[in-house]
Amino acid sequence: MIDRAQSARLRAASRRGTLALSGREVRRVSKLWTQTILPPVVGAVLFMVVFGGALGGQLRDVAGIPYLWFILPGLLVMTVAGQAFANASTSLYQARNEGYIDDVLTSPLRPAEVVWSYMSGGLYRGWISAVLVAACGLPFVPGVENWLLAIVVLILTGIIFSALGVMTGIWADSFDQQAFIAALVISPLALLGGVFYSVETLSEPWRTLTLLDPIYYLVDAERGGVTGMHESAVWLSVAIAAVVAVVLTLVAIRMFSRGKRLRP
Amino acid sequence: MGVWHRVVRRYPELVPHASLPALEVSGLTKVYDDGTHALNDLSFTVPDGGFHGLLGPNGSGKSTLIGIITGLVRGPAGHVKVFGHDAVSDHRLARTMVGLAPQEVHLDRFLTAREVLSFHGRYFGMAKADANERADELLVAFDLESKSGSRPNRLSGGMRRRLLIARALVHRPRLAILDEPTAGVDLELRHDLWKYLSALHQQERTTILLTTHYLEEAEALCDNIAMIRDGRIIAEGTVPELMARFGGARLEEAYLAAMQEDRGQTLPGDRHLD
Repeated sequence: MIDRAQSARLRAASRRGTLALSGREVRRVSKLWTQTILPPVVGAVLFMVVFGGALGGQLRDVAGIPYLWFILPGLLVMTVAGQAFANASTSLYQARNEGYIDDVLTSPLRPAEVVWSYMSGGLYRGWISAVLVAACGLPFVPGVENWLLAIVVLILTGIIFSALGVMTGIWADSFDQQAFIAALVISPLALLGGVFYSVETLSEPWRTLTLLDPIYYLVDAERGGVTGMHESAVWLSVAIAAVVAVVLTLVAIRMFSRGKRLRP
Repeated sequence: MGVWHRVVRRYPELVPHASLPALEVSGLTKVYDDGTHALNDLSFTVPDGGFHGLLGPNGSGKSTLIGIITGLVRGPAGHVKVFGHDAVSDHRLARTMVGLAPQEVHLDRFLTAREVLSFHGRYFGMAKADANERADELLVAFDLESKSGSRPNRLSGGMRRRLLIARALVHRPRLAILDEPTAGVDLELRHDLWKYLSALHQQERTTILLTTHYLEEAEALCDNIAMIRDGRIIAEGTVPELMARFGGARLEEAYLAAMQEDRGQTLPGDRHLD
């Protein structure tokens, strides 16, 4: 049983503590920008230069859409997904591995507040990288057909992959395990998610495999937002992505709350 | 149970603080996933305003006990109350009252010394300006002012140890738990820390729970001492009381006699780890 003053103190701890930990995560991304922001932006720009520029003349339009315009939405999704995941998983694993997570574990912050703070670093890194990639690509394409859809898809992508990053950061017992998930699960799913091709042009079994890849639906919805062209029901994809984002965030909070691998 | 007793149990905040113990541990048992029994039905109390020493060999359960009080170790059986608030079911409030300087020096390497203190205060609900002001105050108190902009990996071992103790005190905890705070610290600095801890205890009335392997430290600072072995409290009392019970002219001799006496009573093969 707590009195009013104590209740106010806990509310302040929640608000200020969450802001502080989120701020700490955002600062970490900004301070290490040559490792966190620059590489994904350069990588995405290289894809645009090679596929959209250098090979652009030899690559035909896809469904009447210039190839650079076609791949830009997928590159944005791939950037947000990869960076949101990498940041949340690395930062949390590092704090666990080096022991300074104790500073947070002994605080009155709730598990949901800690998880959200770690996710916020991933969201910041993913979205800033995507903004820079978009800034490099948009001047060379006709524009964005549906800003709302394009932004909503990137928000949901960020939430889904930063939650997965938190889960991996809690689960991984070594950098190898963490890198395994990034290299052998996230990257292949992103690359095979229809970023560079239309599923309509694929033969079996690649067509079915692509349709089973959840990232394909995010890429297709983002393409619907940027170019207006899509192959699946985009708002259904957005609705499913929203449910997945909520479920994964709750699972990450549950994992943190149970404390296995965080506390003996 | 009387009405007053029931009111006190339900509304501990109604009772003047002085009458509530800072720490009340009862029947605490912790078995790790690998089957290691770290604590066995451990009970003890630290009164508000006390300077309590917890002495015991490596692996006796000191760090496990501290971990349970501060939320770093999960799932114990038994009860831990911090100023009347259960450290498990009412952990958020209990944690606002506790400051921990752990045995291992783990400091966030992405922050400067000042930021380590300031961010810690904010995690505990301090406003940014208050946390910064308190950080500056502690940097001066612990002679770290000139290193406020340095990252922990640029500090010497003694400086990191001081920063860790300062961090435990940022949010002005009513109970400071210092787990071997002077381990690996040179003699001069150790005495400086003793002075600071005495002042903290006397002037700010902070309750202190100290673990140490330096028995002269416990003798100089603590007004009450609990000896722990195999996850149980085997003896408790003031330094003169312990020396009278176990013999010896110094605490060290009483400690060794107490451990020896208990070892004789413990069944062979009954091993416990921290």
